[in-house]
Amino acid sequence: MLAEGLMMRATENRIEFSAPKLDFLSGKPLDRLKNAEAVPFDFQITLWSGTRNHVFRTLADRFVISYDLWEEKFSVNKMVAPQRSAKNLSATAAESWCLQQMALTDLNGLSPTDKLWARLEVRAEDLSPSNAVPFTHGAVTESGISLNGLLELLSRPPPSPQSRIVSDAGPVTLEALRAVRR
Amino acid sequence: MLIWVAAIRAQTPQISDNALPQVQSAALAEAEPLNVNSRYTVEDVQVVGWHVKKMSDSLRANIDRLKGEKLDRPKLEVIANEIKRELHVPKVDVTVVRGALMDEVQVTFEVPHTHEQDVELTVARFLYHSKQGWTAEGSATTHFAGNALTFGLVSDGDAMLERFAGVRAGIERGRIGSERVTLRFNFASYHNQWNLDTLTANADETYRTRQVFEPQATIELTSFLDLDLGTRFSLYRLAAPGAKAESSNAVVSTLRYHQRWGSDPSEDEEANASYNLTSATHVLASDPAYTRQTVNATYKIRRGRSTFDLAFLAGKITGVAPLFDRYVLGNASTLRGWNKYVLDPLGGSHVIHGSVNYAYRWFQAFYDTGAIWDRADQRSQKHSAGIGFKARNFQLAMAFPLVSHPEIPVFYAGMNF
Repeated sequence: MLAEGLMMRATENRIEFSAPKLDFLSGKPLDRLKNAEAVPFDFQITLWSGTRNHVFRTLADRFVISYDLWEEKFSVNKMVAPQRSAKNLSATAAESWCLQQMALTDLNGLSPTDKLWARLEVRAEDLSPSNAVPFTHGAVTESGISLNGLLELLSRPPPSPQSRIVSDAGPVTLEALRAVRR
Repeated sequence: MLIWVAAIRAQTPQISDNALPQVQSAALAEAEPLNVNSRYTVEDVQVVGWHVKKMSDSLRANIDRLKGEKLDRPKLEVIANEIKRELHVPKVDVTVVRGALMDEVQVTFEVPHTHEQDVELTVARFLYHSKQGWTAEGSATTHFAGNALTFGLVSDGDAMLERFAGVRAGIERGRIGSERVTLRFNFASYHNQWNLDTLTANADETYRTRQVFEPQATIELTSFLDLDLGTRFSLYRLAAPGAKAESSNAVVSTLRYHQRWGSDPSEDEEANASYNLTSATHVLASDPAYTRQTVNATYKIRRGRSTFDLAFLAGKITGVAPLFDRYVLGNASTLRGWNKYVLDPLGGSHVIHGSVNYAYRWFQAFYDTGAIWDRADQRSQKHSAGIGFKARNFQLAMAFPLVSHPEIPVFYAGMNF
């Protein structure tokens, strides 16, 4: 799924990202969250500089999100160091909080006039049986490979495209981003 | 420890909803549960849907024990899998909703109506071993009036001295007079092939065919202790020209311990141990009379992506046992890398063996040591080591004996061996 509106802003020594229309807490992952599951989301931001063939930096992190059934608010745990957590967030706030943790703080080697492109990819890890892959769940047990289980697995519909969201930004220069800030 | 409350807007200007978020940094985050609902208490658990009346009392008791506990979401999936296994259904849905009382939740396991799995087909085991060839086992199981009927085919060149190939059949019925008692009757008929080393060492002890009849009962003494009691009648036709069929009839009993700690699949520990006593006696019209005592123990600990396994085996036979009851080392699970016919082409009456396995994600490394002997002066400790890949029940590895001269490593790959 292609989402609109990845935005970048820059200070002297960092680039921050935001995406108000990201909306990854929806569809099947949201159903799972509202069923008291903790759902891991993998984030990756790729930043190209100069040309679209030169990857300047790649940032990756994992956020485990759960939905408080009584408070009706989201809780987020950032899994890659430095670990952090946030509670009592609305869906929009939880999505924003995850992106705020993905700021790029090392701009060494980046020229202010180089063109920049950014891509954000968000993927919900689905460990539920309906998205199980062979040899990890159901079809393979301690008593062996269940052929019935394999048939059942192979006759399932493909996983929902909702589980991966991509959003692009650019081209823009660091100089222009800093100017907007001022 | 830092707790930022209220001032969060200054730190995180994008969060602009009405909620008052709480953000915690590294030290506190480590202690935070990943699932915020784990602080809620399970108020009630329901099991609804198709065939739920067939569920055993012990599984119902396990489910009922969830009431009053804090919500453990991974544990609910474990129980859903147990329901699937017991009712032979492909799917069980788990739903968690708010309870009637504050800070409590209700859990529902729902078994959707589906086609009944009349026959469960399973590839129980397969293995390719570069010195022993192929081993494979498959079975079909169906359920009829509370009985589980199993029919299987096997060709095994790994577990024993001989390659045995043939059919297996069994019937099993649980809940005989008590929830804790299961009765089963197994039958097997094998054709046997022998390695030249064994034939050279003593061809007179080899046999061409073997039939096994095993009536047995399993008693669940506690949730972690089982006792198998029964007999095993083996009829085997010796290979020597003109030799008659012999029988080895034994009383068999096994005490098994199983314990597992932790419901999170990435942070658990598991211990298994068993003591087996097989006593063939003239009282049961057995031709050979002997007693075989075997102790097995395994311990596994998993932390994140690392898994550490320890295995121990010790056994002793008093009297003269037929070849199928003698101990073997140097196959795909013991002294990996050694050739079992080099270690003892006729098997041993005494054995001791230990294994250490370490796995990081799919990569594994292992070390085995052990000895097999008949007389004390034959006892010689051997060592082996290997590396490979392991994913759940699947393994692909290369192992070699630790000796002073170079040896060709053994390669093996397969599942559930």
